[in-house]
Amino acid sequence: MNAVEIKDLVKKYSDFEAVSGLTFDVREGEIFALVGPNGVGKSTTLKTIATILAPTSGSVSVFGLDTARDAHGVREIISYLPEEAGAYKNLTGKDYLDFMALVFLRDRKKAAAAVAFGSELSGLKDRLDDKVKTYSKGMTRKLLLARAVMIKPKLAILDEPTSGLDIVNGYEIRNTIKQLAAGGMTFLISSHNMSEIEFLSGRIGVINKGKLLACDTPDALKSRFSTGDLEEVFIKLTQ
Amino acid sequence: MNIFLVLVKKEIKELLTLQVILSIAAMLVVFQVIGKSVGSQNRSTASRNGLVTVDLDRSALSRRLISALAEAGYEIKPSAERGIEAALAAPAQAAENSFLLIPAGLEKTVNSGKKSRVEFYSRFKKNASGLGPVLAASRTRKAVAVVSGELSYHVLERRVPGVPPALLRNPAPALEFAVVDGRAVEVPLSQVVAFIQSQTYFFPVAVFFIVILSAQMIMTSVAGEKENKTLETLLSSPIDRRLLVMSKLTASAVIAAALSAAYMLGMRSFMSGITAETSLGAAAGTAAAGPALAKLGLLITPSGYFLIGVSVLFCILCALSIAFILGVLSEDLKSTQAMMTPLMMALMLSYLLPIFIDLSSANFGIKFLLYAIPFTHAFMAPQNMMMGNTAQVLRGIAYQAAIFTVCVFYAAKLFSGEDLLTMRLKFGRKK
Repeated sequence: MNAVEIKDLVKKYSDFEAVSGLTFDVREGEIFALVGPNGVGKSTTLKTIATILAPTSGSVSVFGLDTARDAHGVREIISYLPEEAGAYKNLTGKDYLDFMALVFLRDRKKAAAAVAFGSELSGLKDRLDDKVKTYSKGMTRKLLLARAVMIKPKLAILDEPTSGLDIVNGYEIRNTIKQLAAGGMTFLISSHNMSEIEFLSGRIGVINKGKLLACDTPDALKSRFSTGDLEEVFIKLTQ
Repeated sequence: MNIFLVLVKKEIKELLTLQVILSIAAMLVVFQVIGKSVGSQNRSTASRNGLVTVDLDRSALSRRLISALAEAGYEIKPSAERGIEAALAAPAQAAENSFLLIPAGLEKTVNSGKKSRVEFYSRFKKNASGLGPVLAASRTRKAVAVVSGELSYHVLERRVPGVPPALLRNPAPALEFAVVDGRAVEVPLSQVVAFIQSQTYFFPVAVFFIVILSAQMIMTSVAGEKENKTLETLLSSPIDRRLLVMSKLTASAVIAAALSAAYMLGMRSFMSGITAETSLGAAAGTAAAGPALAKLGLLITPSGYFLIGVSVLFCILCALSIAFILGVLSEDLKSTQAMMTPLMMALMLSYLLPIFIDLSSANFGIKFLLYAIPFTHAFMAPQNMMMGNTAQVLRGIAYQAAIFTVCVFYAAKLFSGEDLLTMRLKFGRKK
């Protein structure tokens, strides 16, 4: 069974079509990257899979569950990290993880185990006892990533997971994703960083103006465009 | 190039958004409405200068007093009744608020060099608001001065030797009576007016600030969650979205309840301060306003305080639920300032208009506008309870509860769909 199946997805806002007939799938256990220029519908697609937005037409299913008809069931098995998301500034990092674990798992024992895992993943150690408002951007992002994956979702949807981070923080987050994927977690990420995409993902979906232009492994795409540079592939596809 | 001007120009461009301009325009409209309503109401109040005279003396002196009052601009409405109770109860004078009782034997007593009295009665309507009581008290003060002056002239003109100066100055002191719901109690009108005003000025100010504070609190909370995208994380969780709405409203309502309790405690302290002050006045020889106010039924009972508290609580809950929806419509934290405008307009109208105009005699449009705003009922609650108008307070609470329920349902509906993230009020800017 595919982790995600999207068929002819169309998403319209009042006067604008953000996604225009998108079709692709994400296989179980893989890291799938959705790439494309700014404002072409990547975040809208991820939000639709995360059940925050409803499709205008077409269908989206996660592990066989339709996001429109069984949104609650989908929410039980996914975790979504929005682009440039924040955390509650007046909570400590630990309190934030506690709160989120209870919200997602609704079981104190499971939540405690998840928080222990998340605390270790975050790498924030003693700083978890400090309020989030004292964190740097990198620390906040690591906390949020830990939050997103600590509950061990079947599918983690990460919108620009390393956006705006320095080299060290970006490197650590990429390694964490890679390790978790090796453990069987499925990832659907969006990013503008082509070297990150190449390092992380098994397959890439390139979209522009709400439509899928190509979907394949990084090597296959490079070979198709006779180049060794994924950025060149991206530019050729989107221009 | 003047770099200072360049900087100022940039700051103005940043600050003067369309939202801000609309807010300013809205405030101008509100003040225009208030100004016009108050102006027309005051003109009509000022034109009401009627004084019912109950002349039990039927002497040359009593006719002279009435004639002096007429010359001073009072519209004299003679009563044929043989007592003040009957005059107050007479259907023909049901709309009148000011009465003068000239007791039998006034001329004879004054002419014999003895002190007499005249009595002024001011009737306070149950559902009156605005500046009416203040203007009525001012008219009574003026009438007292006219009568007192005319009585002095009368004694002076008679050139009776051996008349004490105090009697010359004021041969028949005016006794002031307040009449509420048929009960007449001797009490300085200024103290009754001060007491009524304490309900119409001080208490609404406190409610006004509590409502603004609570509304800003929840609006910032919702808009902040949208801006920080913490809301998107919550929306992707398996938690029932209605729970998210209810948790936010409950948390804000708990804080609002604490604010209401603080308000009620403050109100009690204020009331005991007023009562203590008036009792001191009694000790100094003037009328004891505290007991007099109690006799008039103006002092609020514990159950009255409870109802006022409930009304204030529902007022805050209405503001919270409306602010919640406005928070959802806000694009970000900055735009919450502009989104507060409708709430501020409604609050200002419901706070300011009843201070200046008498709602009982206002035109239908103003009345409808004010009673449609759920906050008005809380602002008016202390005055209504003071005047024994419990039914009006209960009706107000029922209306506030209905508005609150509708707003909560709408907020829950917004949270259940994607409108929460896609619906927003844009001010001329396309995204």
